[in-house]
Amino acid sequence: MEPVISLKNVYKSYGNKQVLKGIDIDIYPGQVIGYIGPNGAGKSTTVKILCGLITDFTGEVFVKNMNLRENITAVKASIGYVPELAELYDVLTPVEFLSLVAELYSLDPAIAMDRITKMLTAFGLGNNLNDRMDTFSKGMRQKVLITSGLLHNPDIIILDEPLSGLDANSVIIVKELLGKLAKEGKTIFYCSHMMDIVEKVSDRIILINDGAVVADGSIAELREKQGDQSLEKIFAQLTASESMSNAADQLINAFN
Amino acid sequence: MNIINTALLRLVLLPAPLYNKMGVNSRHLKAILGAKLTMDDRRPNTFQQLQRNRDSKPVKLATLVTMLWSALMGAFFLVSFRFGSNNETQLTTYFIFYIAILASVLIADFTSVLIDIRDNYIILPRPVSDKTFVLARLLHIAIHVCKMVLPMLLPGAIYMGLNYNAGGVAAFLLMAFMATLFTIFLINACYIFILKITTPEKFRNIISYIQIFFAVVFYAGFQLAPRLINMAALQGFDINQHQAAWLLPPYWFAGAWQQLYSFSGNARLLTCLALAIAVPPASTWVVIKYFAPSFNRKLSMISGSGAEAGQPRSVATPAVKSASSAYSGMLAGLLTKKGAERMAFLFTWKMMLRSRDFKMKVYPAIGYIIVILFVIVFTKQSFSIQDIRLQNNQGIITSLMVIYFSNIILMSAISQVTMHEKFKAGWIFFTTPIQQPGRLISGSVKAVIAQFFIPIMLVIIICLTVLAGFSILPNILFGMANQLLITAVVAYITATRLPFTSPQQNDAGNNLFRVFAVMLLGGLLGIGHFVLYRIPAVIGILTILSALAAWLVLDGISRQSWKKIISRYQD
Repeated sequence: MEPVISLKNVYKSYGNKQVLKGIDIDIYPGQVIGYIGPNGAGKSTTVKILCGLITDFTGEVFVKNMNLRENITAVKASIGYVPELAELYDVLTPVEFLSLVAELYSLDPAIAMDRITKMLTAFGLGNNLNDRMDTFSKGMRQKVLITSGLLHNPDIIILDEPLSGLDANSVIIVKELLGKLAKEGKTIFYCSHMMDIVEKVSDRIILINDGAVVADGSIAELREKQGDQSLEKIFAQLTASESMSNAADQLINAFN
Repeated sequence: MNIINTALLRLVLLPAPLYNKMGVNSRHLKAILGAKLTMDDRRPNTFQQLQRNRDSKPVKLATLVTMLWSALMGAFFLVSFRFGSNNETQLTTYFIFYIAILASVLIADFTSVLIDIRDNYIILPRPVSDKTFVLARLLHIAIHVCKMVLPMLLPGAIYMGLNYNAGGVAAFLLMAFMATLFTIFLINACYIFILKITTPEKFRNIISYIQIFFAVVFYAGFQLAPRLINMAALQGFDINQHQAAWLLPPYWFAGAWQQLYSFSGNARLLTCLALAIAVPPASTWVVIKYFAPSFNRKLSMISGSGAEAGQPRSVATPAVKSASSAYSGMLAGLLTKKGAERMAFLFTWKMMLRSRDFKMKVYPAIGYIIVILFVIVFTKQSFSIQDIRLQNNQGIITSLMVIYFSNIILMSAISQVTMHEKFKAGWIFFTTPIQQPGRLISGSVKAVIAQFFIPIMLVIIICLTVLAGFSILPNILFGMANQLLITAVVAYITATRLPFTSPQQNDAGNNLFRVFAVMLLGGLLGIGHFVLYRIPAVIGILTILSALAAWLVLDGISRQSWKKIISRYQD
């Protein structure tokens, strides 16, 4: 099978600091990738490269067999991106904002309106369709953001901490939604710190640390290699320079 | 979207077929511009920003308000046609006003409105071509500038039409267009300069300071210029007599207008015309060619994710305590009791220095008040420095007015010290076991006094003793003690919440009360002071009593109970 996303030897630096040090990943259609790593490991940078936000990297990136550099607009059209920060034009209403997004994906306005209403209603925002978002809670904004990433029914969905700010019920909805999308053959690239959820939703986990891939495989494969333990423990084992219990000891000793 | 935005949007989209040929997606263009203009309509305009209230009802029709303001400004510029003996002088003045006001308005809009950092996350990940995005941004800037400039020029154009002919109006509009281009160049140059000398993080602060500075200078200009300037001399003024005029770009535009209107063909006016036509496009070209690329990148860093690398930026904190914190620490030691009060003092001190929100509200108000004081005291017909030196009745009244009304400066700080954008962070005071919450308030009031009152009083002491000698010192001290008392009383009545724990709100009523209280109390005490001015013994005793009273009131503030304080948050 042809990979739907393929990163080949991707390097990226900010000034003197090298953030990505040769990332090689092939992702196949229908996979749900859990992309994890500590703060500053290069997760967001990878995502930004995939979404065409950062172009001055070295190496090659292919999405659906298109070279990202040469077909950046076509690549963007096939990706749905849900950014980490709740960045939206909050003086607009959800309908206004999502209509803008729909236009940018060149969706038919009638279809877009239909989807916007249905999706927001499903998220429980049916009564807030025409309220300005500056009054919205973090969770409500996140729902609008998730909708904005799925509106054009993309084949590839990239989510950067999509559950932040959502309440427990909404988390269930999104988790089930991800499962259903994967069943439909969508490829999902899921960045998160929440290990338990990553462990549950993804069928392949890629762990990066300090700009390089340090583990790659299904949770079963990772357990085989690292010993039968939770993803949280595996994560700590592979990324922490000192043992966690040491840090906890030091914290508790601060009282003495 | 209102009718004006809709019309402007239609207008800029007229050449859509041409855009499509250039490789721009006009559908995307329309969507982006439509959203941007809708947002512009819901944002408080630049004129209101300095005094804006977070909690007021949502802004609508901001565009119309902005345009009305611009027209009002434009009408004010007509004053320039009363100065000077010829067209060049008048138009030079006009264009000076025009460029200065336009620059001061646009300089803030460029970061807050026109170059929106959120575009990076919202528009760029979508399948929008770079050309479309750049054109959308340029057209948005053009529309924004038009909305500002057209109403601003309208009064001038009407004046031209009434006093000259259609040709005069056309030439005026052409020159105004050039002046606008030139202003945009100036702003860009200013941005590039600021970014060169400082970090993007500090950029917004510097822009805020520039805005405050402009606001105060304009206000001072409006208040003082007509009173101080000798009208007769101005009316005869001829800018053509001064070689230095060549350094003023507004003079080029004025000369160029004269040339276009009269076709006189003299070398001076022809040079003006050449400069006015050539320099703005050339400078714009320089900006686009040489500065724009790196400029855009830097701009995107302004509120951008510096956390890109995932590392906290370390703020340069020298190992040794900075002079400022040593100073505040010393004052805190002198003025406050250990514990909650001292903590609140130092906290308030730092917040006042660091919060842009606070500074944007308080500093302009301080600037305006200084200007008003200046107007009250120094533009009286009979005023002379000699009076203060001699300490005759006139001089004593002036000295007392300076001392007693300078207190108004503190009032905006006192009122703002309870408010902050991030007022919710105030939970920290409510969840910690603080025995005497009143001390938090007294600490913050003392911080305001220390940060604003002490410097003002030092300036007054130095100025007055230099002028009138040391013999005036007891009277200044008495005045100061009274000022402290007034401040304490006003704070007791109005500063009833913990520092920075309330949302921004417009308490115009409370503000009016404060100013009124200061005027009334200050006036009464001032009159009493005037009567007793020449009796040093009484002044000495009263100084002690007044200071004691101030201390008692501050102590009263610090004794307020939780019950009383909490009740103020409940309505």
